[in-house]
Amino acid sequence: MVRAAAVDKEVQLTPAPGRVALVGGGHPETAVWCYDGSVPGPEIRLRQGERVRIVCDNRLAQDTTIHWHGVRVPNPMDGVPYVTQPPIAPGRSFIYEFAVPDAGTYWYHPHDHSSEQIGRGMMGAFVIEEPTPLPVDREVVWVLGDFRLRPDARIAGGFDNPMEMSMAGRIGNTVTINGRVPTDCAVRSGERVRLRLINAAAARIFGLEFRQHRPLVVALDGQPIAPHAPEGGRVVLAPAQRVDLVLDMTGKPGSKSSVVDTFYRHLSYRLADLAYAATSPLRTKPLPPPATLPRNTQPEPDLAQAQRHVVTLTGGMMGGGGTNGMSMGMGMMGGGRAMWAINGAAIVNDDMQHMKPILTLTRGKTYVLAIDNRTAWHHPIHLHGHSFRVITRNGKPTAYRAWRDTVLMPPRERAEIAFVADNPGDWMFHCHILDHQDGGMMAVIRVT
Amino acid sequence: MNRNNQPMETIMNRRTALKLGMSFTATAIATAAVPAWAALGPVEVTLYKDPECSCCQNYADYLRKNGFAVTVIGTHDLPLMNDQLGVPVNLQGCHLAKVEGYVVEGHVPVDVVKRLLAEKPKIKGITLPGMPAGAPGMYGKKTGPFTIYAFGSTPPKVYATE
Repeated sequence: MVRAAAVDKEVQLTPAPGRVALVGGGHPETAVWCYDGSVPGPEIRLRQGERVRIVCDNRLAQDTTIHWHGVRVPNPMDGVPYVTQPPIAPGRSFIYEFAVPDAGTYWYHPHDHSSEQIGRGMMGAFVIEEPTPLPVDREVVWVLGDFRLRPDARIAGGFDNPMEMSMAGRIGNTVTINGRVPTDCAVRSGERVRLRLINAAAARIFGLEFRQHRPLVVALDGQPIAPHAPEGGRVVLAPAQRVDLVLDMTGKPGSKSSVVDTFYRHLSYRLADLAYAATSPLRTKPLPPPATLPRNTQPEPDLAQAQRHVVTLTGGMMGGGGTNGMSMGMGMMGGGRAMWAINGAAIVNDDMQHMKPILTLTRGKTYVLAIDNRTAWHHPIHLHGHSFRVITRNGKPTAYRAWRDTVLMPPRERAEIAFVADNPGDWMFHCHILDHQDGGMMAVIRVT
Repeated sequence: MNRNNQPMETIMNRRTALKLGMSFTATAIATAAVPAWAALGPVEVTLYKDPECSCCQNYADYLRKNGFAVTVIGTHDLPLMNDQLGVPVNLQGCHLAKVEGYVVEGHVPVDVVKRLLAEKPKIKGITLPGMPAGAPGMYGKKTGPFTIYAFGSTPPKVYATE
């Protein structure tokens, strides 16, 4: 028991094939790849500052790793094959052990064969609680998944389809909350809920509208932010992003309100209904707005001393207007060629063994990365090992200078992110639309 | 329900989740008694495309300019539809149109579409694979001939070279 004394929690995660009722309602079960037999995998819940040991025992037929998305772990624990660890071969195991420095909503997923492994169900919530929790009546976690199912509820093959790899990525036809096509979400009138939203989809961006409700954003990518209404009343989550909401259930007992995803034009759909119990309201007087959560422990960038680098995203179908885009003839259809690039370099087919850093940063210094999306498509860009502030968008200062680990870059837009390079190692910097990552939009940033 | 009063993507809920694709299988084979091109007014085309792709929209406009009546439907299910309609993976284009029982995949020049509708061959459809520069609706300059393939019964064959 000497071993156990060093950590506050031990977790076993077993990636393996499984069968789950993704659709439910009498429809057939779906063969998936998942952690511990469930989609999502078991929620890992820790308190800020705790140390965890996670044993990953790979029972898949292919290599895997686990990445703790957004958690600022030491480099060897980051779960990137060839970059931070050897891939975990079938039948082999790997022990992850680290302390969690920051509170917030995070998630875990494979970083090897990511597109297919996540697309087949490998994902899980990773929640780190604040020492003093936000005062709410109830906390709810929604892991948002997206699957492409055939009529018999089987997951469609055809991962890495070159055409969609060069477009929006593999967006599915079946959206799940916590691994199930949602129906009603039971709520009580008057209650205050903290809703932790995690976009665990491979490519789908969500734009959630809580009809007849006024959710307040209290954290983005796990990092506290001054409570505010989402822009345009719509909560946008790109793949891998998280949003914590405080949602006051202001509806009447017995009523129903819809949560609608309006992100893609002409493809809106109702995600779920908030179904109010007939019981009397928990309270009748509205609560005061929630306080801002305490700041996490990442260092504040020193912008006066910052060194600036430009990072340019190119590639994909149609650079509308003909610039910076690409066309694709028969020669492209064999697959394996770069479709996307970061600063002109593309890493294709997960060839992480031969990546050279696009930037080498000095430990402890502040850096500004000016990201320029010259493509016609959205890219959620994720930096490993650090949280960063989004300080400008298209040259204008942002309202909240939000801390994030994944910044959504809309087509032909620019953003500047700032951070202190305080975590030594080689860190992935990549698009979290996993087909784009596989198609070359992936790079390494070295912190010395 | 939604802001724009457009139909929602109904495949997302449980009642209809598994109906996906059913509607795309029945009309795959060309039906008999198709009128000759333009004999009876505009030919109707239903074009399925990624909601964010601009070149597919350009192609729809190109068809309209050439006298077709085009309905554009945004979808994220093109690979699944292609699979169900028998379009080989290596011959897929970026969008899928249904014209008088045929599949017309990708940026096929309108003359070839008209020839298809006039000849009424026993195939499922034709495709211009990928997104070659200079094709109708595409940006850029044409750098070589476009090869349009027929698919459906036997291994895909060259249908036209433009």
